[in-house]
Formats: sequence, C-alpha cells, structure tokens
Amino acid sequence: MEFEKVKPSEKLAPCIWGVSSGKGGVGKTFISTSLALTVSKLGHKVVLVDFDLTGANSHTALGIDPSHMNLRHYFESTKSLEDIVLNTPHPNLQYIQGFWDAWGPVSIETSHINQFWKDLKNIDADYVIIDLGTGFYEHHMNIFKRCDEKFLITTPEPTSIEKTYRFVESLICSTLKENSTPDAFGKLMYVLRDHRQRILPEPFSFKKYLLGHEGFIFDHFEQLSKKPVQLIVNSVRSPQQMELGHSMKSVACKYYDVSLEFAAAIDFDNAVWQSLRNREPVLVAQPFTPLSGQFLSLCKHMIDPEELRAVV
Amino acid sequence: MPQLPKHNYYEILELPTNAAQHEVTTAYDRAKRTYSGENPAIYTVFSDSEARELLGLIEEAYSVLGNKTLRSIYDQRLLSSQFSIDDLSYSSILGASKQYYPEPKAEMKRPQYQKDAEFEKEIFAQTQWDGPFIKKVREYKGLSIERISEKTKINPYYISSIEKMEEKSLPASVFVRGYVSQIAKELGLNDKLVADSYLTLFKKKI
Repeated sequence: MEFEKVKPSEKLAPCIWGVSSGKGGVGKTFISTSLALTVSKLGHKVVLVDFDLTGANSHTALGIDPSHMNLRHYFESTKSLEDIVLNTPHPNLQYIQGFWDAWGPVSIETSHINQFWKDLKNIDADYVIIDLGTGFYEHHMNIFKRCDEKFLITTPEPTSIEKTYRFVESLICSTLKENSTPDAFGKLMYVLRDHRQRILPEPFSFKKYLLGHEGFIFDHFEQLSKKPVQLIVNSVRSPQQMELGHSMKSVACKYYDVSLEFAAAIDFDNAVWQSLRNREPVLVAQPFTPLSGQFLSLCKHMIDPEELRAVV
Repeated sequence: MPQLPKHNYYEILELPTNAAQHEVTTAYDRAKRTYSGENPAIYTVFSDSEARELLGLIEEAYSVLGNKTLRSIYDQRLLSSQFSIDDLSYSSILGASKQYYPEPKAEMKRPQYQKDAEFEKEIFAQTQWDGPFIKKVREYKGLSIERISEKTKINPYYISSIEKMEEKSLPASVFVRGYVSQIAKELGLNDKLVADSYLTLFKKKI
C-alpha cells in the first residue's frame, strides 16, 4: 500500500523556523546550524539565514568562509534575496550570509523587515531556518514573532533561565502591544509592575485580565498558546537538568498563561567545541553520536509529528 | 500568588481531563520537583512562599486525581454543571466517596462465653489434645465451625474431620499440623503444644 505524502515543497511558501534566546552564548548558532544540517539530511531543501544583527557567525559553525555577498547588499537594495543565497558543501543546504561588513551597528527600518519577510516567503526552499540574535533586539523579536516555528534556546544555568523568562515576558508584551489600544496597554503595564512587586490585591492572570478589560484583541494572546514556542534546553549534563524543560513549561503555564512546548534537551558534548575549532560541523564530523540522534528526533518530530516511528 | 481557580485540579497539574492514571502520577512528580526545593526554573518568577502554596495545591490535586475513586467523583461533578464550586473542594469529595464506598465494617466481635473456672483449669492442665477435646473447647468458647473456618480459611469439612480425627478425610499430616495449630491459635490456646500433642495422637491412630 502506498501513502501519498504531502511534501512541503508542494506548498507555495517555505516553512520558516526562527531560533532565538534570552541570553547570549547559549548555543543559538550551534542549534540553528545543526537543525539546518539535520533537516537537509532528511531530504528537504533548506536555506539557513544568519540574521544575528549583533554579529554573524553561522558561517563559522558551518565551516565555510564568510562571503562578500551578504544581507547588507539586500538591505541596501542592490541585490535581491535570491542573488545572495549561497551554496554550501552540504547537500540540500543553502545559506544567506549575515551582516559581516557593516562596520558599525546595523540600522534597518521596519518596512524593510516587512519586505524581507515577504521575500523569505518566496524563497525556493522547503524550510528556511533563521538564526536570530537574542530576542531583546527589536528586529530579532519582530522576525521571531512571525516565524511558523519558534525555537527558544536556554541552558540549565540560572542566569540563562532568568533571561529566558524575561524573553517570554517581552514576547507576550510585544504581541499585546500590537493588538491593543495604547491606553489599555499602558494600564496593563502598571498592573504588571504591581504584579511583579506582589502588591496586587488578588492573583493576576493574563487571561482573566485581558477578557475583563477593553482595548485588547484577545485572539492574539490565544494564538500564542495554540502555536507554542518550542523550548530547547542546550548543554544538558544530567537527567535533572533535562527535567528543567518540563519545569519551565509548567512555570510558563502557571505564571504567564502561555504554553511553552518542551521540544528537546540537547546533551552537553565536548565534541561541539572541538569540532568548531576544526571548522567542521559536529553533525558532519560525528554523525552517529547521541547528540545527532537528538537533533534527528527533534527535526522528525517538528516536520511530521504524526509520523509513526519505532526509534529515532 | 497562584492564579489558578482553586477548584480545577486538572489545571493545577496541567493535564487534560482524559489523562491516563499513570500520566497523572508523572505530572505530579514533575510538578513536585518543580515547586519544591531549589529548582532554578522557578527562580525570579515565584517566591518561596508562593512555591510552597502551589505545592500545597499540587498535593491536594494529586490526592484527588491520584485516587481512582475520588477522581471519578470529581470528574462527574466537574462535567455536570449542577455542582457548585464548593462541591468540588477536597473535603466535599472525600465526604462523597465515603457515602458511595462506606468504610469497611468493624470486625465481628468474638462471642462472649460463660467462664467456667473448673473447665479453664482442665484446659490449662490438658496434655492429651485429641479431636473431641478441641471440639469441647471450641463449643465452650462459643465458636461455630463456620466462624473458625471464616477466620482461618480452613475448609469447614476439614475442621469437623479434625475434631472427629478421621484420618481418611484429611490430607497429609503435615497439612493437618498446620490446620490444628491455626485452629488452636484461633481458640486462644498454645498452638505448638496442641499441635504436637494432636499429631502424636493422630499418628498413633493411624
């Protein structure tokens, strides 16, 4: 019996995955390149976009040289997005170099971001994976919010967890800000500050508040939970640390009324930094480690959660 | 402050209402680990006292959902809209479960019997424990064969055979020894003494 499988390539627009984090240095670039490599290994056409405005370095993780042809040309309107898509040594995987020769802070206007998003949707690929910087940069958050799948990376360190919660807060609030009247949003901010200081007369709940007050479009808040942010706990060194993902999911549910999904825990592996020194992606240098297994099962689940499989 | 409606135990454990029983236990374990001790995941979000309060709710939720009987009552009440929030409280559900499933009755009391000083002396002095004497003691203590059988789980047929010392209707002597010692215990006698003496007489009879 043959099953007809709908390939993502038959769809018009590619599926866009965004990778961001609250804290820097938790492994966004490592995770996004590894995701891109794994999805391309599964036979899908992937374009990896390096959109870290604080400094592009996906090329290093991929083991290729930085290219002159980069996003700067696109944002300066001298090239179209298709023109700056570069080939990589890895099959099925293409790459857009991030800002590398800007010699200063990059300034992009929101209208440019909107156009960029439209062009991304027209790119010839099954999956576009965007390596964003930390979410506190406005443009990063702007892109992150639009992604079809949002990956939030954290490590088990308390500093990283704390910043992850701050990221979730700013994600919620920037979503609400766009979907509310300025007055209502300003009032909400006051209430939230009181909530943080624990001086509210009764327990605070986003759901209750938004339904009870005028000036908000509640559906957008609901949407956040319907398509939950995928939490990835990176550099896990013990089973207790792996459990953190479940704990953070529970905290997000109880404190913020939004659901996070605990997507995967990625083991700490010394091979990661060692292979980075050799400028070779660890999944290429060591394709049969538990680490690559974790990426494989994560990607398979993200691509088709319904697919039945016995192992990995 | 926890923002949850206090009455929905499923929300507290973050479970769908159709979760399997083992999922309830897993969710409880996770929640407990999250909100107790020094878990970095609650850092900067919940204070110690809030975490303790949540932990209390989690324990309460599990004491209902982790118990099949209480959970079924809770489910019925949650799904039908006839019950008020008060009916979904822990104490109310516990009360209802006692109505549906009353606690097991207290044990049947031992029947009282008339003390007979002379016969007590005779029992005390007795060294030859044969069937008829055991029967005599049993009747003196006001216990029927059925009652002994119910307590010791020995077939009443064997009990009466032991009293009659009918070796043909009894199993191998090693089993008989066990039966006799149990009956003796039930009658409040020295089981070892009775069994030894009975078995000697029993074997002689064979």
